[in-house]
Amino acid sequence: MKVLIVDDEKTLAYEVEAFLKKAFYVCDLAHTGRKALEMLNLNIYDFILLDLGLPDTDGLKLLDNAKKLNPEAAYIILTARGNIEDRIKGLDLGADDYIPKPFSLPELQSRMQAISRRKFGIKIESILIGEFEVDIQNRTLFNKTSQIDLTRKEFDLLTYLLLHKNRVLTRMQLSEHIWGSFNADDSDSNYIDVHIKNIRKKLGNFAAVEWLETVRGVGYKVKKQS
Amino acid sequence: MKLFTKLTLYITLSKLAIALLFVLSLPFLVEQIASGFTNNYLRQQQEKVKEVIARRGIEFYLQNNKSYGSYTLLKEEYISLEATDNDYFVDTIENAQRILESDTLNYRILMHTFNVRNNYYLLEIGKTTASISQYNKPLQRIAFYVLGGMILFTIFADLVFTRFLLLPLGRIIKTKLVNRKFPFRDDIAPVNTSTTDFKFLDNSLILLMDRIHEAFEKEREFTANASHELMTPISILQNKMENLIDDSNLDEVLQQRLVDMQRTLNRLKKIVRSLLLISRIENEQFSRLEISKVKELVETVMEEIGHRLKEPEITFQVHINPKILFKNINRDLMFQLFYNLINNAIKYNKNKGFIRISEIENSGKAYQLIIEDSGIGISKTDLPAIFNRFRKAGSGEGSGYGLGLSIVKSICDYHQILISVDSTPDQGTKFTLSFPNQIVII
Repeated sequence: MKVLIVDDEKTLAYEVEAFLKKAFYVCDLAHTGRKALEMLNLNIYDFILLDLGLPDTDGLKLLDNAKKLNPEAAYIILTARGNIEDRIKGLDLGADDYIPKPFSLPELQSRMQAISRRKFGIKIESILIGEFEVDIQNRTLFNKTSQIDLTRKEFDLLTYLLLHKNRVLTRMQLSEHIWGSFNADDSDSNYIDVHIKNIRKKLGNFAAVEWLETVRGVGYKVKKQS
Repeated sequence: MKLFTKLTLYITLSKLAIALLFVLSLPFLVEQIASGFTNNYLRQQQEKVKEVIARRGIEFYLQNNKSYGSYTLLKEEYISLEATDNDYFVDTIENAQRILESDTLNYRILMHTFNVRNNYYLLEIGKTTASISQYNKPLQRIAFYVLGGMILFTIFADLVFTRFLLLPLGRIIKTKLVNRKFPFRDDIAPVNTSTTDFKFLDNSLILLMDRIHEAFEKEREFTANASHELMTPISILQNKMENLIDDSNLDEVLQQRLVDMQRTLNRLKKIVRSLLLISRIENEQFSRLEISKVKELVETVMEEIGHRLKEPEITFQVHINPKILFKNINRDLMFQLFYNLINNAIKYNKNKGFIRISEIENSGKAYQLIIEDSGIGISKTDLPAIFNRFRKAGSGEGSGYGLGLSIVKSICDYHQILISVDSTPDQGTKFTLSFPNQIVII
């Protein structure tokens, strides 16, 4: 997957790039609107992450122009402006998602994955982990032929960890994903532990769950299987 | 005392004082006028006599007699003329007694000597003092009545006029001060008055309100701009930390410290987001066109945070008519309103406590929702400030940023919901929401 990150905050663009690289995305950076158009003339991208507050161009205008050059790409608006009109205008102009800054990097990636599934028809039929099979589309979890019932939040938690396989996700990142970054509370970290405990218990009845690791004092991670 | 009452009292008292003064001086005045008038009358008579003498000679009166006298039937007036040897002149008007046909009477007498062909004559013209003062009493009485009537009439006229005059003052106070709601966003037309003082007052108030409004606008703009400006650096920090934590080469201690930093940064992020949310609500950036059932709103909130009830074993009771619908609301904001209130009720509750959500549904009266908890409560001193920004309610531990209830207040104001709070420390807190009729469908 090829990504163009358009943001005048260079440090921020580098961080996004560093994170996405680990997930095997290929990233280009543009710090101005002009540079972005140049890149779009030369390359075809799958994802364009666009900051609306660019120094030389109006972000929404750039979105309009970029869409003409690269209509197949998925557009995600990243902005600190975050007012409602911008959001509506952005989505009207054909942006696929709108993420207000500050955002969490795993959250960005999981939104990109969701767009991949939706827009590019990349269907991860099911994820195999240990002796389990997770179907993200239909929200089901199987061990061989027996279905395991998870609550909505437990399922969300498990898939979030699975989609970021081999990455440590902190309790905060997990609770922000489950409860939203605004309403997630410090105390929710404890409930993440409770949910994980429940997942382990429910799955442990069927097979080993050693792939779901606790990283002490930090959070959880799904270990890559050898 | 009201200005109108004061003015009325002043007008009445001053008029009465003047009237009293006039009534007291009336007898003296009347007497003065009567005596002046009599003197004048006597002089006129004297002139007439002298005119007759000049025309017809002294003989007209004195036909070889030495003296002449005449009086009216009731002896009210008399006239006498006689030759005199005195060669000094007398010309006086005085009160004196005269005996006329054995009646001793008091007269006001003009005495005047004059000379005709080297003979001297003394003329006396008299008028009884009784006849002079005979009109005094009735005159005084009539003057008294007329005056009294006039004073009553003017007091009445003054009352009506003062009331009319003071009318704009009441209107200014009502429209400019009492009925206006902070932050005075709407422009109000000046009160119609021709009194420049009231115009001045009215304009000063309009100016003052405009200035307050402007200051408020500036503060709001500042909050919005500052929050936006803060978002970018927070964003960079957050993403840097995420990448660092994800770094597999990191030693455990360092990683845990980074997680602590992340938590702190998250707190900062939430404060800025809350401020931004409040300023957006105050800027009216949210639509109010959605509908939602009350019960569903509460259920949605509980889906999100119901798990928080489990560990402290809090009982949660909802007694809400499932049919009640809110219209003309912003669903997200209403969610946030209930979220913050219920979340607080959980956060500041005790183990094995309860939370009760109930309603009061009186036809004709505002629909009310009551959210009660059995928590630590809020002390009397903290109660008035709980909706202020950055005031932590109570002395409870935990991460109260003091913005949750400010957000609640902003959302209530935005939907014209009245919110009141009642709390007893160690017993619990009760929030009552009164919804305006236009947003409730029962």
